[in-house]
Amino acid sequence: MVRVTGNFVKESPLHPKAQAALAAAFDAGWADPKKLSQVATRANRMRAEAIESLAQLLSLRIDEIEVLGEPLLGHYLSIAGFATGASTNIFYGATSRSEIIATARSFTPHEIAVGLKGDIQISPSTQSGIFALQIANGETGVIAQSQQIVDAYPNALIACDATTTPDISLLPNRWDSAHFDSQSWAGPAGIAILGIRNSKLWKNPFPHIGIKRVPQSYSLPLLLSSVVALEAWRNQSELRQLNQSLRARIAKEVHDCDIAGDLDESLPSIASFSFLYCHGEELVRALALRGFDVDSGSACTSDDLAPSHVLAAMGVLTHGNIRITLHDGSTQDDIDALATAIIESVAQLRAQR
Amino acid sequence: MKIIDSRGKRCPIPIIECAQAMCELVPGESIELLSDDPATLPDLLAWGRMTNNFVEAQGPETFHITKK
Repeated sequence: MVRVTGNFVKESPLHPKAQAALAAAFDAGWADPKKLSQVATRANRMRAEAIESLAQLLSLRIDEIEVLGEPLLGHYLSIAGFATGASTNIFYGATSRSEIIATARSFTPHEIAVGLKGDIQISPSTQSGIFALQIANGETGVIAQSQQIVDAYPNALIACDATTTPDISLLPNRWDSAHFDSQSWAGPAGIAILGIRNSKLWKNPFPHIGIKRVPQSYSLPLLLSSVVALEAWRNQSELRQLNQSLRARIAKEVHDCDIAGDLDESLPSIASFSFLYCHGEELVRALALRGFDVDSGSACTSDDLAPSHVLAAMGVLTHGNIRITLHDGSTQDDIDALATAIIESVAQLRAQR
Repeated sequence: MKIIDSRGKRCPIPIIECAQAMCELVPGESIELLSDDPATLPDLLAWGRMTNNFVEAQGPETFHITKK
């Protein structure tokens, strides 16, 4: 087996500090914080400290924070908590996550087209409802024009999908719920944070007894580790130059390549390339053989053999697609080697057709 | 007009077969591509933009492509 020298898939290893914290948390934070024993009291104190840190790091009030043990659940909760019935209007961009689209379709959906750069084609509306606002797209990294969108929908509640980045500077100045995913800051999988700012209008949409707003079935050790990872997270602006060099070299040396979105309006960590006449799965495998792990949005790599709805909505080529995620610690040498591998692999695959 | 039947073939084969057929055309001439792959429509439109050819969907599995 070829040794993996470059991890460019979405997932990354836990931040070392988070890994250490996880082990310690399983040691000390295993008790149920809701009980009265000494160990439970200690767990409760650890939980309270974690929530305080989260509040500070994500600019949330403590009473706005809910922790989820199933991140995908947050997409539904953040929107459906504000819905008043099937006739509730849900506005969303065509490149939103499929979980958002599925939620919208269970009410009254209003899909908004995007342009070739992934920008939402804003059509101002005074209709009431909920705007499911994806802060940044996980496949292309394209950042939404959040403030313009919020201003164009003055009567809509704003449910932010912030699961691709904890960069709170990207949030608009008005929002009603915000959903974050621990994995976006190199924290453990299985932890999400739901910020409920408008608690007067938000109601738990699930059948429930009592006053709990969300299921409380998350792992405390994972939460503690996640907070440590968030404390260690830093804005990834230093990756922008690496991303730019990768895009520039591929654009220069590979013909018939579609690059999704402009880096100036995207997260610095993501690049999506589609190569005409290439098979996405073959390209992913060719790169793996050279020691580079990457993701793909092509139909041939998806479970249902459907092309990426994100790339299709943008009008970007969906076949021959690879998605590169740069992580903290990526170096120029890594990027140069990856670019060479992509250029050679694409040429090899095209020669075989 | 030449008809390319790519039904039953997955991406990127229909686009490759379409591109190969287009090589034999002169500007203004057209082909019809038959494909039942859900990726064909978005990919044909992107291919048309990238290669400067005109693409028109005439049905869910029928596409008309004109060389510019």
